Amino acid sequence: MSKSKLKTIKDLAPLRNSLIKEREKLRATIVICGGTGCQASRSLAVIDEVKKQLAKHKLKKSVNVRTTGCHGFCEQGPVMVIEPDEIFYCHVSPDDAAEIVTKTIRDGEIIERLLYTDPVSGKTIKTESEIPFYLAQDRYLLAQNRQVNPCSIEDYIAIGGYSALAKTLFELPPESVVKEIVNSELRGRGGGGFPTGRKWAECREAPGDEKYVICNADEGDPGAYMDRCVLEGNPHLVLEGMMIGAWAVGARKGYVYVRNEYPLAVKHIQLAVEQARKLGILGENIFGSPFSFDVDIARGGGAFVCGESTALMASLEGKVGEPRPKDVHTVVDGLWHKPTTLNNVETWANVPSIIKNGASWFASKGAKGSKGTKILALTGHIKNTGLVEVEMGKSINDVVFGIGGGATNGKAIKAVQTGGPSGGCLPVEKFDLPVDFDALADAGSMVGSGGMVVMDESTCMVDVAKYFLTFLQDESCGKCVPCRLGIDRMLEIVTEISEGRGTSDHIELLEDLGDTMSTTSLCGLGKTAANPVLSTLRYFRDEYETHINEKKCPAGVCQALITYIIDEEKCTCCGLCKRACPHNAIAGKKKQVHSIDVDLCQKCGICMSECKFDAIQIQ
Amino acid sequence: MTQEVTVNIDGAFIRAPKGSTVLDAALGAGICIPHLCRVPYLEDIGACRLCIVEHIENGRSKITTSCTLLVQEGMRILSNTDRIRKLRRNIAELLVTEAPNSRAIQDIALRCGVVETRYPFRNSDCVLCGRCVRACTGHFGEKAIGFVGRGKDRRVESPFNLYSELCNECGRCIDLCPMTIVPCDGNMKPGEGRLCGNCESKMLTEEAAQGYCIGCYMGDGFQCERSITNTL
Ligand SMILES: Cc1cc2nc3c(=O)[nH]c(=O)nc-3n(C[C@H](O)[C@H](O)[C@H](O)COP(=O)(O)O)c2cc1C
Ligand code: SF4
Ligand code: FES
Repeated sequence: MSKSKLKTIKDLAPLRNSLIKEREKLRATIVICGGTGCQASRSLAVIDEVKKQLAKHKLKKSVNVRTTGCHGFCEQGPVMVIEPDEIFYCHVSPDDAAEIVTKTIRDGEIIERLLYTDPVSGKTIKTESEIPFYLAQDRYLLAQNRQVNPCSIEDYIAIGGYSALAKTLFELPPESVVKEIVNSELRGRGGGGFPTGRKWAECREAPGDEKYVICNADEGDPGAYMDRCVLEGNPHLVLEGMMIGAWAVGARKGYVYVRNEYPLAVKHIQLAVEQARKLGILGENIFGSPFSFDVDIARGGGAFVCGESTALMASLEGKVGEPRPKDVHTVVDGLWHKPTTLNNVETWANVPSIIKNGASWFASKGAKGSKGTKILALTGHIKNTGLVEVEMGKSINDVVFGIGGGATNGKAIKAVQTGGPSGGCLPVEKFDLPVDFDALADAGSMVGSGGMVVMDESTCMVDVAKYFLTFLQDESCGKCVPCRLGIDRMLEIVTEISEGRGTSDHIELLEDLGDTMSTTSLCGLGKTAANPVLSTLRYFRDEYETHINEKKCPAGVCQALITYIIDEEKCTCCGLCKRACPHNAIAGKKKQVHSIDVDLCQKCGICMSECKFDAIQIQ
Repeated sequence: MTQEVTVNIDGAFIRAPKGSTVLDAALGAGICIPHLCRVPYLEDIGACRLCIVEHIENGRSKITTSCTLLVQEGMRILSNTDRIRKLRRNIAELLVTEAPNSRAIQDIALRCGVVETRYPFRNSDCVLCGRCVRACTGHFGEKAIGFVGRGKDRRVESPFNLYSELCNECGRCIDLCPMTIVPCDGNMKPGEGRLCGNCESKMLTEEAAQGYCIGCYMGDGFQCERSITNTL
């Protein structure tokens, strides 16, 4: 295989063809996920063992083992797909390797035990494409993860990689690229949903010769990992997007700002950059064109607020990662006061296919005003969790019930929290809303970076608001008053309410304060910090009122407002709870119904989990 | 010669040098926009958010801080609308309940129309306006003090919390601190519902005074151009 520099554009196609030919000779490819999730469930050991077994059976040459990035179904990890038949095995352990190689690869038999069982129907499923979790999705970006080893530029080129860049450099002048992105109606995936084309156009028109493009891979939202997944699983895709963007806005230098807690993503993007440099895809006069461009990798400081555009740029400049006022936009006055285009990982990843397939192809997917697909991190009280990619405009119902498979352990689903820590909570009655930027924003929540936490009836919404406020209080940089003191006071009030000291004025005060924070805070963090409180107040006001007026927590979560009692009918006087209680709060002799002394009870709940007869209840 | 532009603030056409901020333009013309973190000749960081105004652009109003907004020819600014007054009042309320013992902050609160406060008092001795930090770094290029920590842990400290070799004892930081401009001598007791009045703050003696000059302590020292406009 030629690893020499691609001197001209004409060298790319022959390289791709030879790579494809090589791959066609293979008898099978075993795809094993080596993403962070599957690595945690020992997929690397599986890979080693599979390779050993292949060697043992002299299948090393005819069977390829491809270690890939995350497929999104981490919950079932380690996952394995055997091409060309797409047989899907889950929870694979190293001990299974021998059987897989002999039975499935050599003899073409399926190992029933390793197949996936659909939790909804209870049936086993043979191939990847039949799995309802995947079937209900629209996987464009995530599907590519399975096709490439992220450490191999050849894999990426073999599936058509860098052809969009080649097309850009030789067929599309920068203005046309900008126009194409404008026409595709692509909007930023990092949270704000700002039209990407407009951003590029403004940056292109901004005065100055020195310009920058930046990829925001700081991803600080707890629970979100779509950027990690894309960067880890398909780094060249992001790189190609950035290069097309750089050509369009006129930048010669780019930065990828990666969160330090993502070592694998850092490693893969670094490797990708080195490989691209070696092949002459990064550097001076790319493919023999006048375009020169290079990328540096920077590691993030680890604070949530460093993902904010101005804080990120300050951090790149070596300053403290704090936001600054944006009265002049960063497309004009950005990194080192130069015009800068900052986009999210997923935004960049969408660019190559827009160039390849055309703006109208992209704009034909999704909803009005929100085109294309969005990767969501689906978690919470549902059967299937993981990363899912859907066309925007799909209803929340389809995501939560269709892909997520509905509630676990028979409870009713109550709400979904979307958009990360500063997103909002929507009640189940609103689940027919489409997942698109405008619909969710109108409903008081947001798409944000794509977090989706499903909550069942055991969740207290006051407690949820408190949880997110606590996170935001720690993550606010503390520079401006409405955010620093506003979050502080909000948390103080919500805590009062959850501990039974709420007053009737509190709800109005929360709304008034929330309005002030949203309007006057310096950066996006403070501007959205009130959302968890405002959206729960909007849809679950009665829960706040019950906490305040009746001093009760309907979901039985807020410790100060609940009492543990023993149901006399159910109590069998076994004495288990009495022995288990660390505070000696339970009284009762043998054959005598037990009771809990409310003054001694510390509400730890140990008795409840000990009782075998459901006799202990929360009131 | 410096170029000048004309901006319209609250209906008045004001000439201001290009590159100056809306806040400076307003103060220079005798329009008092309350402010705390801004210090003349030092970098503006937009931290206190008291100086918010409505910037009317293409028929739409955008709320932003006037200390970070640069004047532009033909710009239209409203500094005293009902909306702004309400928001500013709420911000001032957050500040004064955090540090009820500073007369300067009490004056600002009065000027912003705070009559009653809805949060329990705390006795912070710093509101993190950053005036001292910028006086030290910006004016003298020294870095004897700076911000450390994030969120509720943010505070002003010298490096490693030791007396800094870099300090040349100029005292500018103390002069600029709103907590030291006539501080109140008694700390609030927890749960005290009203400002104490020990320092004879105007808050107890006068009506809430939105939109008028109350001759505040911040202005007395070195900040606003009240003395100029009073003699006009
Ligand atoms: C507090 C805060 C945190 C943010 N964190 C991220 C992040 O982790 N990743 C990201 O892409 N954008 C983040 N953003 C949004 C960025 O400021 C910026 O809008 C985005 O990266 C622009 O790219 P896009 O237009 O492609 O979405 C954050 C914004 C705020 C206010
Ligand atoms: S809004 Fe919050 S995070 Fe943003 S600058 Fe203000 S204090 Fe810092
Ligand atoms: S004076 Fe403008 S934000 Fe403080």
